[in-house]
Formats: sequence, C-alpha cells, structure tokens
Amino acid sequence: MAELQKDPITRKDFLSFGILGTITGAILTIPPAAFILGPVIKTDVLGQTDVPSGPDDWHEVGSITEVPVEEPKVFVVDFPVNQIYGDRKIQEESGLSTEEFVVESAIWLSWQHEILEGGEYGQSYRPAFLDDYDGGTLTQAQIEEIQGNLKVLSSSCAHLGCPVRWIVKEGAGEFLCPCHGGIYNINGQYVGGPPPRGMYEYTYEVREDGRIYVRHEFDIEEGLDVQKPYVI
Amino acid sequence: MIGRIRSQAVDTSKFVTDWMEHRTGIVTMMEHFLYEPVPKRGAWLYTLGSATLFTIVLQFLTGILLLFYYVPTTDHAWDSINYIMTEAYFGQMIRGIHYWSANFLLVVIGLHMAQVFFSGGYKAPRELNWVVGVVLLLLVIVLAFTGYLLRWDQDGFWASVVGMKIGSYSPFVGGPTIHFLLGGDVIGPATLSRFFAIHVWLLPAVLAPFIGIHLYLLRRHGVFGNEFEYSDRLAKLHERQRLESYERYEENDGQPYMGRRDRADRNGDEDEE
Amino acid sequence: MYAPATGKGKSGQEEIITEENVFERPDETIAFFPKQVLYDLFISTLILIACVVLSYVAPAPLTEPADPATVTYVPRPEWFFFFYEQMLMFFPGYALIGFGAVVVPTIFVMLLFALPWLDRSPHYSPLKRPFATVIGLLVVVTVVLNMLLAVSRIINFPGGE
Repeated sequence: MAELQKDPITRKDFLSFGILGTITGAILTIPPAAFILGPVIKTDVLGQTDVPSGPDDWHEVGSITEVPVEEPKVFVVDFPVNQIYGDRKIQEESGLSTEEFVVESAIWLSWQHEILEGGEYGQSYRPAFLDDYDGGTLTQAQIEEIQGNLKVLSSSCAHLGCPVRWIVKEGAGEFLCPCHGGIYNINGQYVGGPPPRGMYEYTYEVREDGRIYVRHEFDIEEGLDVQKPYVI
Repeated sequence: MIGRIRSQAVDTSKFVTDWMEHRTGIVTMMEHFLYEPVPKRGAWLYTLGSATLFTIVLQFLTGILLLFYYVPTTDHAWDSINYIMTEAYFGQMIRGIHYWSANFLLVVIGLHMAQVFFSGGYKAPRELNWVVGVVLLLLVIVLAFTGYLLRWDQDGFWASVVGMKIGSYSPFVGGPTIHFLLGGDVIGPATLSRFFAIHVWLLPAVLAPFIGIHLYLLRRHGVFGNEFEYSDRLAKLHERQRLESYERYEENDGQPYMGRRDRADRNGDEDEE
Repeated sequence: MYAPATGKGKSGQEEIITEENVFERPDETIAFFPKQVLYDLFISTLILIACVVLSYVAPAPLTEPADPATVTYVPRPEWFFFFYEQMLMFFPGYALIGFGAVVVPTIFVMLLFALPWLDRSPHYSPLKRPFATVIGLLVVVTVVLNMLLAVSRIINFPGGE
C-alpha cells in the first residue's frame, strides 16, 4: 500500500467544503424529509383529515326503528377516504380509476340505559313513542328526545383499537375488547380493563324521516392526542 | 495420458488464480477469510451467528422472489398472495421459507444474543459490535412488524392497527408517529404503500450495511467465547511476567517491581491455578 | 485491513504472549475453513430443510382479507410480540399506557445499548459476574413468563370462537 499523503487544508478548501456540503446536504435531506413526513404535516400542522367530515359529509347509518330496545346493534358505514388514489379529484383528472376507496367502520347503536349501583342496567331511556312509530315524520321535540338518548359508538376500542364486541353473560351485557379485556357498559362508558376512556362516540343527527346520519368526527377533548381513535 | 491432462489442468488453474490474484488480490483475501484460526471449543455455539446471517440471506432472497408477484395495493395485495400460495410454481414453498425463516431468525437472534451476553462477548474491545448487534435486532423487529401488514389479511391488519395505536401513546410524538405510519389519519392505501416501502426498501437497505459492519468488527476482534478458552495463554503470560518481575527484583537490589502485573490480573483470572 | 496481526501465522517459533495479544487467539484453535464452515453449513441446511418441510406441513398463514368493520375477529400478535402484548395488560389508563407501551421498552433498549459500559466487571465467565448473569436470567424469565401468560389468556378468551 502506498504511503499516505496528507496535504494541508487551506482556508479556501475549508470554505468550499462548507458551501458544497451545505448545498448537497440540504437538497438531500430537507425535501426528502418533507416528502415522507407529508401526512404528518397535513394532519398535525395543517389539521387536514383524510376522511371528509365537514358539515355536508353525513353518511346514513339506518333507521331509528332498527335499534333494538335492550341491546346494541352493529351497523356498517363506508366513509370515503382521500388517500393517494382515493382522491376523487385525481381520479377525475386521470379518468383511469373509478374505484373510490372507503374505510368501512362498524358502528354500535344502542339506547342509553340507566346504570344502577353495582353496574346493573336499569330502565332503557328509549323514547316511548317509538313503540308505535311507523316511519312517519318526526317532530322537532321527538328528534331531540331521540338525540338525547341514542348512543352512536365506534367499534374501535379506546385502548388499542381492536374491534369491541357485545357479550351477554347472566342477564346484563357488556362491550368487551378481545385484545386486552377492556370492558364498557351499554352506554359505552368505561367499566374495567386498560382503556383510558369510554368508547368513542360519533357526531350524529336524526332527521325527520327517522333515519340516523353520522359524521367522521368523535367526542374528543382538545389537547389530548391519545384520545383520538386514529385508525378507523 | 490422464496424468498429462491432470497436470495441464493444474497448470491452467494455477494460471487463472495467479492472474486473478495479481489483478484483484482475491486469493489472499479468501485465504485470510478462510484460514483464520477460531476457537475449537464452542464451535457449535458459534454457528448461531452464522445461522442468523443465513436466515437473513434467506429473507432477502425469498423477499426478492415474492416481489415478482406481490402487488402492494389494498385491493389486490391479498389476491396476489393468494395467487402465490395457490398458483405460482413453488409459491407455497418460497413464501413458506420467507415466513418460517423469519420465525427462525427471531429465535436464532435471541439465542445468539443470550450466548454473547452470558459469555461476556460484549466486553472491550467488542463494545461497538454489541451496539451494532442491538441495532440489527431492532431493525429485524421492525421488519417483522411491517411485513405483517403487507398480507392485508385479518391477522396482519389488526396486529398492525394495534401496533400503530401503541405508537400513538408515545409521549410528545404520539400523533406524528401514528400519522407517519398511517400516511394520513386513517388506515388506507397510503398505509400499505408506506409499510411496503419501509419493509422492502428502507429497512433492508439499512440492514445490509449494518450486517457488513457487524461482520467486519467480528473479523477484526475475533469470535469470543468464555474466558477459560484463554486460560493456557493467560497462564503463560502470567508465568512470563512473574519471571520478568523476579528478574527485575534481583536487578533492582530487592526493590519490588509493581508494574503491568496488576493490569494483567484484571484481564484474566488465576483462580483456577 | 487484511494485514496479519502480530504473533499469528508464525508456526514453529514460540509466540511471545503479551498483554496485547493474549486474547488474540484461544488456546485451542481450528481453521475457519473447513471445520467451522462445515458446522455452519450443517446448521444452515438444517434450518433450510425445516423451512421447506414446514412450508408444506404448516403453510404460511393467510387469513380472510382485511375487514375493518368486523366485530367478531380476535386480533392476535405474532408469537414474538406475545410478551410485549401481555405487558400492556398491566398498564391501564392514560398515563400508564404510554409509560408501559413506549417508555419502558425504550428504557430497556437504551440499557441494552449501554450494556458494555454498565457491566464493567473484568470477568467474562457468567459465574464470576453474578449481577449481570442474574439480571440476564431475570429478563429471560420475565419474557418467557409473560409469553405463557399471554398464551393462557388467549386460550381462555371467552368470546374466542
């Protein structure tokens, strides 16, 4: 091997190294970082979301008559997602893909129940007029009574996002998360296990024809990042 | 006749090796690699490291093969894997090797780590090789995690959902972490693309050079077993030092020589003697 | 890089052992090739054959296509995440989930990185550095115990059809 040769580094060399290194380094780090961190910038800094949840983005769940009296029922709602090729604008421009990407979400609907001491369920707060409701037009007062007592819950467990199920054991039922055993009552309130809070509740509205509509928006306290369901 | 052919063959092969050696130095390099003395005792234990390397090589190989059929989109990922499993020639075997050698890899890595830990192989001057090893372990774990979603089946999907939710509980960076992994704020096509890019390009590209460093440092310092493998040499060293210090003791008119002896004691143990 | 280290390859003449080269080669050595290579190849072949056999006996799993709207599926991690998953059970609530799921593993990894500087004992044999050995065994036992707990929890899950 040849002898090593160590030439002195002049001031000019040093400056050149600095300038060239900065240019190359900046081009090779900043744009790539912004490129892959795009979703983080869009969601955390600009506050955008992939699922449109503006005032016009209501999605139908079902009819008020389909919600059973004593137990919750699961409904599936497809929320459209604007991610990569799911973006409708891009699809229209290209004219190639017509498939709209949706995120299917399981939604639990239940009537709020009175919770007795010891966790037993008392009476259901289901409005009495629904017993002989046949799908006609609801009055504003009736809608408000329904909206005060209907629970629209995400199936995504508040702990780690597993799909919670309704389990009936000895009379009273409960929502059980199959992953780590989080338990919620019929109102979606936290009962036991590791979850930090109750089940996520969707923003919903009941319209005059007795149908329920939801938006992809949850009851989240401002400032607590861990409260978001994130995944679905 | 046969003898002539044989001698010609010998001449030809010698010519070829000499030619290559002169231009690339590959013969010296190969000799250096192949004839390195390694500890006789524990030779089977040291196969854990090479088994790790072998399973990683299997991962690279079968991973590249799977890419010939795999489609990283939410609507076709599952179908393409189903195609590999049912239609492609030896598809079940290629994917089986990818899957099973990944499982073996994690077992073997655990054993390899335990062996290095309990034999003290991370001690000076091999600290940095341990650090590189931990980096490799983390890379392999993240590879295992990201590979799981690519199937886009129930198992992989929900395990990834849970994994990403765990990330969202990170202090201070929880939101950005999960948004980075999701490629948005819900699981969707961007999530699969990201996991694909991370699993197939980013992490293997990082893994390979770290494996290179790991092997380079290994050859530089040699494999290391237990301290008793060096007991003969330590005994010889101590004996020589004892004689030397005794000579100096005489030369210095009875002044005791307290020199390097102490350091040697720290390096090895004489308890057996 | 490939320059032979001092004291090596001088067969015939007695090697002078100094503190610098005492750990350079063990007492009894074999050449890497062919014996060690053969051992390595033996294990590697064994693993490869096991992979091939297993890929037909127990094919790589591919369950139903992902369904985000399921309410009957029971998510399970891979076996090597069992112990970690089980650990999450012990950390309920806002503050503790983040602590157990992220902070504790991060600290553990940091300790793993720092191990060569934490264990300053000059000894190599596990018997002569009991502290490190006990810690190591404790980690192994914890991982295995947690794994068993997770397995028993999965087997006993009430709704698991």
